Amino acid sequence: MSSRARLTVPAAPEPYSFDLATTALLIIDMQRDFVEPGGFGETLGNDVSILQAVIPPLRRVLDEARQIGMTVIHTREGHLPDLSDCPPAKLSRGKPSMRIGDPGPKGRILIRGEYGHDIIDELAPIDGELVIDKPGKGSFYATGLQDYLVSKGILSLIVAGVTTEVCVHTTVREANDRGYECLVLSDCVGSYFAEFQRVGLEMFSAQGGIFGWVASSTELLRELDSIIESASLTAGASAVQ
Amino acid sequence: MTATPATTTATTGWRVGPVVADPYRWPFDGSVSTENLAVICIDWQTDFCGPGGYVDRMGYDISLTRAGLPATAALLELARRTGMTVIHTREGHSPDLSDLPANKRWRSAQIGAEIGSEGPAGRILVRGESGWDIVPEVAPIAGEVIIDKPGKGAFYATNLDLVLRTKKITHIILTGITTDVCVHTTMREANDRGYECLILSDCTGATDKSNHEAALHMVTMQGGVFGCVSTSADVIAATYNVNDSAGVAGSE
Repeated sequence: MSSRARLTVPAAPEPYSFDLATTALLIIDMQRDFVEPGGFGETLGNDVSILQAVIPPLRRVLDEARQIGMTVIHTREGHLPDLSDCPPAKLSRGKPSMRIGDPGPKGRILIRGEYGHDIIDELAPIDGELVIDKPGKGSFYATGLQDYLVSKGILSLIVAGVTTEVCVHTTVREANDRGYECLVLSDCVGSYFAEFQRVGLEMFSAQGGIFGWVASSTELLRELDSIIESASLTAGASAVQ
Repeated sequence: MTATPATTTATTGWRVGPVVADPYRWPFDGSVSTENLAVICIDWQTDFCGPGGYVDRMGYDISLTRAGLPATAALLELARRTGMTVIHTREGHSPDLSDLPANKRWRSAQIGAEIGSEGPAGRILVRGESGWDIVPEVAPIAGEVIIDKPGKGAFYATNLDLVLRTKKITHIILTGITTDVCVHTTMREANDRGYECLILSDCTGATDKSNHEAALHMVTMQGGVFGCVSTSADVIAATYNVNDSAGVAGSE
């Protein structure tokens, strides 16, 4: 399948153009700890069911990205079992019902290797997809993400995951400062708070696109569909010959 | 965790905290010596809050981005008197624009204020131009660190983290503009690096008032996901000298 295609997606504040060969789908923190009951997100007092609306459209985007052969990257927020990479200010903050490292129904909260720390089954990584483990909200700080993007020649990122105003925003801000062009998929990012979902999306594309572009998965899938269709037509023609 | 008692032997004797803040009394560990505390002033540049600068050229009302200047000046007076580290940042690019990402340049051109083009305060967001420098109300004094940054965040592609660690800074108070863009990006970077952060609502500002308020609100959620929000008056009221039981810094 051709990977040289240049696609343009209707987006805010301007249409977003990207080359399939230099674009990665970046899926942020779709972990049981944030999305399912009994995890870290719920211990902070959040209704995690709100985030589950993200899963069906994101699954469609992931399926098509895999079909086309796009680079796919997943991230997970978490800490080492001895908490040596968890800053005291993060560990001690607030009054959650459980703290990072405490035993929960899905294993120790936000600890690498635990069941709750892993990505939900619907979006589980497959062979060849990079999984970035990060100690913070941003996916660039203290990780190998930038080295990987450079080595793969990636220039653009299509970003999905949770939560919109925390890990997605921090990662897009980091990526934008590093010169990457980011498209955020509005229905494939989620927040526990409706207000933050709205203003978080607005902030990406404000001031001429100060951090990047925003579009729905429908707009992106329309373009990806056309690539898949033309490729299957080509394949069909070859089979006839 | 219970608050750590003020047992550190500080040569200045000045400490800050606990500060009345949202969502918890800041800092998480009770109080901090001014020797381990930095006030970071983000991008108080003419380009962002002065006449003829970048934000003015984009058509925004600069009274919104200037609103935090008096409170920041009062905080700086306290910081300098009590031995806090003061750090200033400036967003800008080298004159040949070699550190300007193509998409950042394109967007600035789209909005009618292309970075590097001539404006009333010199070339927009170019290092060394008058519009790029810090406004007089909160100008750096001798000995204060100035960080020049190419992006929104003050940590990426700068030596800020090295400076903070060398000075043994563990706690950061943030002022500057704009709340939702450069201040928030820097606070997020600092938080990921383990610094205990406090953003001051009256020492920040944005080109849009609702963005300013939403950005502050975001900090307070989930037990303080990036730190805390407070005001300059609350910081001043919570600054005291351990050698002077009656000594509150703001009472002079």
